[in-house]
Amino acid sequence: MTASFRKCLRVVCLLALCGAGLSLLVSCHRARGGALQSRRLIILGIDGLDPDLLTKFMAEGKMPNFARLAEQGAFRRLTTSIPPQSPVAWSDLITGMNAGGHGIFDFIHRDPKNFQLYFSTSKVEGPKHSLHIGSWVIPLGSGSAEQLRHGKAFWEILDEHGVPNYVYRIPANFPPIAAKGKTLSGMGTPDLRGTYGTFTFYTDDPTAAVGAVEGGEVVQVEVKNNRVATNLIGPDNTFRKNSPPATEPFTVDVDPLEPVARIGLQDRQFVLKEGEWSGWVPVEFQLMPVIGNVKGICRFYLKQTHPRFQLYVSPINIDPENPALPISTPSSYASDLAKQIGEFHTQGIAEDTKALTAGVLDDKEFLEQSHTVLAEHRRAFDVEFPKFNDGLFFFYFSSLDLNAHMMWRLTDPQSPAYDAALAAQYGSSLEEFYQQIDQVLGEVMPKVDDNTTLLVLSDHGFAPYRRSFNLNTWLLNNGYITRKEGTSGDSNEPFSDVDWSRTRAYGLGLNGLYLNIRGREREGVVESGAQADALLREIRQKLLEVRDPKGGAQVITRIDFASDAYQGPYARSGPDALVGYNRGYRAGWKTILGAFPADVLEDNTNAWSGDHCIDFTKVPGVLLSNRKIAAQAPVLTDIAPTILSEFGIAKTKDMMGQSVFHPR
Amino acid sequence: MGRVVAIAGFNLSLLTSPLAIVIVLSLVVGLLMVVVFGHTSDQKAIGIAKDQLKAHLLAVRLYRDQIPVVMGSYGKILRGTGRYLKLAFKPLLYVIIPIILLMVQVDRYLGQTPIPTNAPFLLTVHTTSSDGFNNATLDLPPEITMTAPAVHIPAENEIVWRLAGARDGKYEVKIAAAGQSVAKAVCVGTNLVRISTVRLRGHFWERMFSSAEPALPDDSPIESISINYPDRNIEIAGYGMNWIWLFFILSMIVGFIFKELLGIQI
Repeated sequence: MTASFRKCLRVVCLLALCGAGLSLLVSCHRARGGALQSRRLIILGIDGLDPDLLTKFMAEGKMPNFARLAEQGAFRRLTTSIPPQSPVAWSDLITGMNAGGHGIFDFIHRDPKNFQLYFSTSKVEGPKHSLHIGSWVIPLGSGSAEQLRHGKAFWEILDEHGVPNYVYRIPANFPPIAAKGKTLSGMGTPDLRGTYGTFTFYTDDPTAAVGAVEGGEVVQVEVKNNRVATNLIGPDNTFRKNSPPATEPFTVDVDPLEPVARIGLQDRQFVLKEGEWSGWVPVEFQLMPVIGNVKGICRFYLKQTHPRFQLYVSPINIDPENPALPISTPSSYASDLAKQIGEFHTQGIAEDTKALTAGVLDDKEFLEQSHTVLAEHRRAFDVEFPKFNDGLFFFYFSSLDLNAHMMWRLTDPQSPAYDAALAAQYGSSLEEFYQQIDQVLGEVMPKVDDNTTLLVLSDHGFAPYRRSFNLNTWLLNNGYITRKEGTSGDSNEPFSDVDWSRTRAYGLGLNGLYLNIRGREREGVVESGAQADALLREIRQKLLEVRDPKGGAQVITRIDFASDAYQGPYARSGPDALVGYNRGYRAGWKTILGAFPADVLEDNTNAWSGDHCIDFTKVPGVLLSNRKIAAQAPVLTDIAPTILSEFGIAKTKDMMGQSVFHPR
Repeated sequence: MGRVVAIAGFNLSLLTSPLAIVIVLSLVVGLLMVVVFGHTSDQKAIGIAKDQLKAHLLAVRLYRDQIPVVMGSYGKILRGTGRYLKLAFKPLLYVIIPIILLMVQVDRYLGQTPIPTNAPFLLTVHTTSSDGFNNATLDLPPEITMTAPAVHIPAENEIVWRLAGARDGKYEVKIAAAGQSVAKAVCVGTNLVRISTVRLRGHFWERMFSSAEPALPDDSPIESISINYPDRNIEIAGYGMNWIWLFFILSMIVGFIFKELLGIQI
């Protein structure tokens, strides 16, 4: 036997040994997977699915699949979060903890040291260091996107236990946390400009209010020789001094007679008729020659050509095929999905509610856009659901929530924004969205067998929003806030008119009531402890006594102290108390950002006419299952333990709830 | 039997896929490129020129502490490079001209895809007279429909129609202007077909490179008729790229392999 032959033999033996070990590992993994494979869990997360509306539609025979599920399995009201806001509620669901554990208290948070407001769920930052050369800013390092939700997500735990999972657009997951399965980020994902969605409206109407409006920008253009030459407004160019917005020129050639136009953007041209939407149009913003560009997608809507030119351009979404920020796991998933279903909205809140509020889109146009969003979700569902074989399948739908916010007024004659003519035309639109969700459930149910648990749930229900309560104005009128001498309170900067040395409490966000605590706030004056507790009790007492002069209803029905409502390491990081409004009421639009409208109570004439950011007991969500639910009063924090329990995994010590099927 | 036919059909479709065509084309062109270069070049002179260049490069490394030698070597490298390029120029011409002509032809098949069924596309007519601009009309076959009124752009003497094709096939769209009628071919579907993105009047060189249709009559009021066919991307490992990039990379690799195998100096 030669030495080289012996060497070969050793190598062969070693390879055989490795192969045997590998196959053993694989078979062990399969055996483990096989045991877990015996259970499948499908969750349809329907944002804003209201138990009262659902009961009504089921009784009317309009939601046969939900009715069948409720009859064969179970239907419960699901106690929502405090406060009942989507980022908070979904974080409760994701982590099994309340806001004290996950640290999300509202859509917006404040830095108590400087009163800068920021998105509660994520922070996107540019590079920390940069080099300035003339008008250019050269980044020294890369920027970052950080998720601010704390606690482990249920799918992280499933990953640890080898349970396959798929999570589509669950809110409060931007940037998506590292995961083994496919996930796509949802609510909280910004548009390319870093906002929750900024549309642009181009018009030659000289009477139009030009400039920034809430959620958008109105741009004055000139139609010269039947051509409009203007710019698409992109993200702030951090490669430039003072970060001006990056822009890309585009032209619109309007036919001199017919209501039609050709739009040219970069190397793409398309024709739109008046009242027509474009498909997704890719756009690339050059931030710095050669090295710095970002890609986005947007849709155009040609509202009018003659006599006035009116063109709506949607918020520029992160391009799923070339994402400028992380929006999926694995990072290639967004692109893979786009290849299968076409480009889609990546912005967290895809329905452009702000454009409807601003009057840029009308009800018909808003509904068209909303249906496009739902159609995208359904295309993704149709692609992904047939692939589901074992583990967890979670799929989120936003349509009921956003359309209830905007269309409630057309179902509520008591709403100050009610319009009988519009109600006759579009009053059934919300119902139609409910029915579409019922169709989705109809597609799911045939796949539900004895080894499959189906959960259909919502984060909260809905209520009318007829009257606004301006908490900061009330605090001002009652001596808890003092304004600086000579200020009007009209400033757009949050609290810039406030004399903090003589202010004891302030309102921020949709339900937040904060004390001006010494050592926490920049110019705090209230001592924490007994003084703070007494002050909170005093304010609560007075707020609960507030009655609406129009009708005499109690405006605020509940105020929860953070010390009672929250448990966990972040319990004291948010508001000191949560204001729970009665049905029909909500915090006013300006007060939530720290402004002081003249009246404490005013009609809500806004198209945003349904809401849920009120007393949490008045807007429960729903929980339906094909299995009997043992818990009589399930809460959102029960869902994560329920999911784990379905796969034989014990809940973590931080989780507050328990399985709804096996409550102890 | 049906299964055999299905498998054969599958294989055939693989062989006629754009990727397979580019791979085969790259193999053939890569080989031919090397062979033609070998036969049309002075191999001995190229070999000497390359050897001399290597020698001068070596001198730069060996005598880097002797500035006059290094500078002299750089000068010789420059001169040697010029000589090498001169030797390579003629054979490269023999190679490049037919390749460009071939690429122009292949691009008509692989550069764009036909218009997908029911997808909107733009037919843009550029006129030279106001009569043609104001009175141009479209005559469509039943499979092609107009989905929006024409957009007249006076500043550019252009008329744009948005159309859509209902069924796969090659159709003729007729445009009448100032008493004359001209046709433009439209390809709808998914098949690999010869596509002409534009039909032109005059413009010999532009026609040569971008049109696969006869020239428009010299007295036509229409200067060009174009269609915005979608660009075709060939997917390789998840990346889509134009066929020319893929062809360039593959034919270079093939060329280098055959150069070694055939012992040809390039």
